[in-house]
Amino acid sequence: MSALVLYPIVFTFVYSLQDYRLIYPDKRAFVGLENYARVLADPMFWNAFANTLLVTVIVLLLGLTSSLVVASILSVPTRFNGLLTAVAIIPWALPPVVNGLLWKFVFYPGYGLLNKLLIGAGVVEGPIQWFGGRLGTLLVIALVVAWRLAPFGAIVLLASMQSIPRDVYEAATTDGASRLQAFWDITRPLLAPSIAVVASYLVVNSLFTFDEVIALVGNRALTSTLALYNYNQAFTFLNLGTGGATAYLVMLGTGIAGFAYVRSMVGKAG
Amino acid sequence: MRTRLLWRGIYLAAVVIFLLFTLGPVLWCLIISITPEAEMFRSGVGLIPAHATLENYARLLGMNSRESTNFMEALSNSLITAGATILIGLPIAVAAGYALARVKVRGGRILLIAMLLTMPVPILATIIPLYALYATIGLLDNHFALAAVYVSSTLPLVTLIITNHFRSFPDEIEQAALMDGAGRVRLFFDVVLPVSYPIVLSAALVMFLWAWGQYMIPLILASSRATKPLSVMVAEFSSKEFFLYGMTAAAGILAMLAPAVFAVVFRRYLISGLTEGGVE
Repeated sequence: MSALVLYPIVFTFVYSLQDYRLIYPDKRAFVGLENYARVLADPMFWNAFANTLLVTVIVLLLGLTSSLVVASILSVPTRFNGLLTAVAIIPWALPPVVNGLLWKFVFYPGYGLLNKLLIGAGVVEGPIQWFGGRLGTLLVIALVVAWRLAPFGAIVLLASMQSIPRDVYEAATTDGASRLQAFWDITRPLLAPSIAVVASYLVVNSLFTFDEVIALVGNRALTSTLALYNYNQAFTFLNLGTGGATAYLVMLGTGIAGFAYVRSMVGKAG
Repeated sequence: MRTRLLWRGIYLAAVVIFLLFTLGPVLWCLIISITPEAEMFRSGVGLIPAHATLENYARLLGMNSRESTNFMEALSNSLITAGATILIGLPIAVAAGYALARVKVRGGRILLIAMLLTMPVPILATIIPLYALYATIGLLDNHFALAAVYVSSTLPLVTLIITNHFRSFPDEIEQAALMDGAGRVRLFFDVVLPVSYPIVLSAALVMFLWAWGQYMIPLILASSRATKPLSVMVAEFSSKEFFLYGMTAAAGILAMLAPAVFAVVFRRYLISGLTEGGVE
């Protein structure tokens, strides 16, 4: 196992220091940090960087809010709880590519569900081009990524909500506290460690955004993410040197978020 | 009384929005897949088709069309790779998870942390040399070489789930059996494994869903027709043949069938597995 993880991580770094293009296999040579300089000077890298940052921030906000809402819904004991839990877990279980496809049918200008509803209700005259601009497309991408990641967040938060004993709330309400007060003073601080787990999970995974972009709008430069930019360097332009350098630059970012993730997991497991 | 009614209203509204938001896109895809082409573009018609048709499914699952040959091949590729991932990965994860929880090995905790640290490593930081290696030794477009990469990627999470389970599982019975002179290995197979099927099942589910959903790894390592999985085919439909929206929608529904059914039927195991991986 370590062979399949450690070997490639080391060699990606070695490649990142080489001129290693598959179309010129004989020219392979050590070039120092040249690939890093080339990637950092590429405006398309910074375009992808900005796109990924925006997607990550929106996924974090949207994902945390919806995980909290879904966890709260599931924490209310009713007859339909099993059914609601089953529904909640579906987006997480589906292939991300399929998620992208589902939402493409919702936002597609021609026969998309949203335009049909809006035109049917008389809100707009003609179809809205949701994928027309860069910002709109990135918002849809972030929405779909959050849709896939939120169920895991909800399940983690639900588990720690249920570990809070009920009589704490009963004591609070007999003392005259409202539900919102009880949530803010009791639930929120006790949930804090799990929120840290969910937040770092959301950040690490949205920094990898790839499948949804391909399914929604394909491999377009304007709405490219870091993973897409990296994929193109290595497997479209067949430049394993700049591909490796990009991977290491991305890992700097995911490493920080990932470190927080691992620390919050180990803290709980230890 | 009034606040209670208000909270009831808020709860119901939240449930309705949640259901629409979660199931809406799935149902819309299902509707598109059974709507005849002529009805799709007619404006002013309701969302539900007047004359539903299963033609798109027949074309994908039927026996003698170009689409069905490709689709069935992709389906079997997904099944073979996911199956191989479980067959190779599950025994390793169960053994490693149990050992890390019970046997006091020096460096066990460090090993666990090292495995966790591989989780935030982006796929692209490991797949570039793997691609070069596989290309050199002829392992591109190979189901089992692909499954080997899947195993090494899922193993950290699945081992963690199993380790956490055994940590919270009382070991008095095991201690007693050890006193009586039973060996660790026999003890594992006779006492531990028979009562641990829920956690083994949830580990298998996590592996299956993960393998079934992979897209970038097979796109790079196994994109030939003989090995590419359903996810890659659905992405091709979504980008190149989106004008065949009815069939694209049907392919999407068929690709989500197995994971959706497994997740709903085995949700209890899946949730206990996930919460043992994420929180205690």
